[in-house]
Amino acid sequence: MTTILDAEATEEAEKTPRVTAARPRRVVTLGIILVLVVALVSILAVMIGQTAISAGEVIDILLTGGDDRVKNVVVTEVRLPRMLVGLLAGAALGVSGVMLQDALGNPLAEPALLGVSAGGALAVAAIVVFAVPIPAGTLPFFALIGGLVAGAIIIGATRLTSDPIRMILIGAALGAFFSALITTVIVLADPDNLRRLTRFLIGSIIGRDWRHVRIMLPWIAVGLPVGMVFGRTLNLLQLGDELAEGLGLNVVRARTAIFVVAIALNAAVISVCGPVGFVALVAPHLARGLLATTDSRQVLPIAALLGAALVVGADLLAREVLRPAELPVGVFTTLVGAPMALYVLRRIRVGQTVG
Amino acid sequence: MAEPLHLIEAGTRPTGRPFAVRFFWPVLGGGLLAIPLLIGVHIAVGSADIGIADTFRALFGSPASDAHDTIVNNLRLPRALVAVLAGAMLGMAGALLQSITRNPLAEPGLLGVTGGAVLAITAYIVLIPDASYRDAGADSGLPIPLVGMVGGLLAGATVYALSRSRTGGVDPMRLILIGVLVASVVSSFASLLLVRSGDYDTRRLIQWTVGSTGGRVWAHFHTIWPIALVTLPLSILAIGWANVLQLGDDVARGLGLRVERTRLTLLVLAAALTAGAVSVVGAIGFIGLIGPHAARLSTGSNLRRQFPLSMVFTALLLLVADIVARTATIGWVAAYFDDDAGFTASLPVGATTALLGAPFFLYLLLRRKTIL
Repeated sequence: MTTILDAEATEEAEKTPRVTAARPRRVVTLGIILVLVVALVSILAVMIGQTAISAGEVIDILLTGGDDRVKNVVVTEVRLPRMLVGLLAGAALGVSGVMLQDALGNPLAEPALLGVSAGGALAVAAIVVFAVPIPAGTLPFFALIGGLVAGAIIIGATRLTSDPIRMILIGAALGAFFSALITTVIVLADPDNLRRLTRFLIGSIIGRDWRHVRIMLPWIAVGLPVGMVFGRTLNLLQLGDELAEGLGLNVVRARTAIFVVAIALNAAVISVCGPVGFVALVAPHLARGLLATTDSRQVLPIAALLGAALVVGADLLAREVLRPAELPVGVFTTLVGAPMALYVLRRIRVGQTVG
Repeated sequence: MAEPLHLIEAGTRPTGRPFAVRFFWPVLGGGLLAIPLLIGVHIAVGSADIGIADTFRALFGSPASDAHDTIVNNLRLPRALVAVLAGAMLGMAGALLQSITRNPLAEPGLLGVTGGAVLAITAYIVLIPDASYRDAGADSGLPIPLVGMVGGLLAGATVYALSRSRTGGVDPMRLILIGVLVASVVSSFASLLLVRSGDYDTRRLIQWTVGSTGGRVWAHFHTIWPIALVTLPLSILAIGWANVLQLGDDVARGLGLRVERTRLTLLVLAAALTAGAVSVVGAIGFIGLIGPHAARLSTGSNLRRQFPLSMVFTALLLLVADIVARTATIGWVAAYFDDDAGFTASLPVGATTALLGAPFFLYLLLRRKTIL
């Protein structure tokens, strides 16, 4: 894959995945640029809003508390946690997308398209709507269980087919099933408050506070490094099951482990933000395009940074474009991400087994 | 994937012939007979318990009371008939799609038509201020199906346009995938509108996003039957083409079929069937997948048998699902957690079809030969 726009060349590349690493210098440069982009977007996300706050004031408030009580509250209690939730969610989704795509050899693998997100959302919906007494902060754990049910079915299906398109059809059916269950749960349990439904069907970080940051943080603090460790395994899986097996990898076990980590990362996002669509699809592909490699060890960190920038950036746009109305960020990412998915689709030779 | 599924090989035919190949006519006849029977059951059960005898009396002109007359003839009968027609249409659409794509996982929702119809209806209800009240009356209902039809066909056309290749042909699998993507974009728009809707609207919108036959009256029946009357016979007429197309593009071309044109015709039929059904009952999932599949499992691959059976099976499935939806209460679940949870809402039939359909889907997945 030389450039992301070169469809003919990438078609060739798709047939023989090139797992040649990019030059370290390129990765580091790109990493630094992206860190700066993330920092810039984050600061903008804290500055811009109903009450505009200058960058100097933001830094002042963060360091010393600032003079203006109102601005202090706006920054520390409203915008900062929301921005952090966005960063964490984006990074988690980026990594989770890389892991799913490489582990399945399926360029379209993404928690939402695989039905994994809907499985997690169902668990969250059931707990929230029925007010099941669970210990505080354990919501992601239940989202993980819901996601794993869907993930187990997908893993089962990988034994039957490696055709990415069939996989997506299975995912679509799973997603439809879990969404129907979510609706059932809400219609039955809470007919007076049907609007809650949207919370579980579309991702949003509107109004997320420090509580939510605390729920997500441990999962992502553990999940991201663990995900990075799988870089080598993912590279092996990209070579195809037979070759990976021949090189001494227990393919089924490795794939299962990767799924658990990827779904756990996604579960943290689901339980706080709901299903934020397509970030997990876009970030990895952008990362591969920018690095011109499919080497997972290098793609993983870059995709994490891109995912973070995407979610925070998309949320900023989503809340500013139609001000005072706020769009849920999930709507925005879907609108941007689906055309991207169409582009990815053009590169798959339909009906051919990839990976 | 390229081979057509379930072609019965010459050598295995005598022993391997499925039950319903030998007994096709009895099975079809039995299915057709079961429909009026189930309509009777459908009408007899419900929150106001009307016995079988009273149901028949009301149906055939001598109701025991005016209330019975209203309930049976004005509320429950049209609902049952709408369910039968919608089921038959979705079943036919599913059968068409599964044969066009040569993929047993295809279902009508994947064309993008369903999502488009739901989005259009959602937009109509949310954005046009008066719409919800105009349509709330039991005797109205025409504007919403019209809006749904237009939205569904527009979305279907978009999917088709996006999936055309440079040479002008359409790869069926690409079409399905683009359908999935378009559906996800469209449904995120619909969710967005849902966020903006009022409580009353939300409740009505759920009926469309999940699919429901609740509150369907004669006006809805009069909307759906003309569509069914046009599309279903046309689909039956198209069986010959579909049969040839199923052999693969090259063979079909060799037999003198204009492959692209035929495929487009069949797709348009499937889209019209889906749009017609969805714009009246909402996005009922899974039955368009399962009905045709059950038909195929019992008849094998000859579409002359499979299409009519798909229609009948799916109509039966939707009737059964609707009976379940109307009688089942999962009240104890809520009561377990919260004694005050009032149980006013009934389950939309779309939820039931998904619940009944998912295990079947899993079963299909596990039978690897059939599905993959």
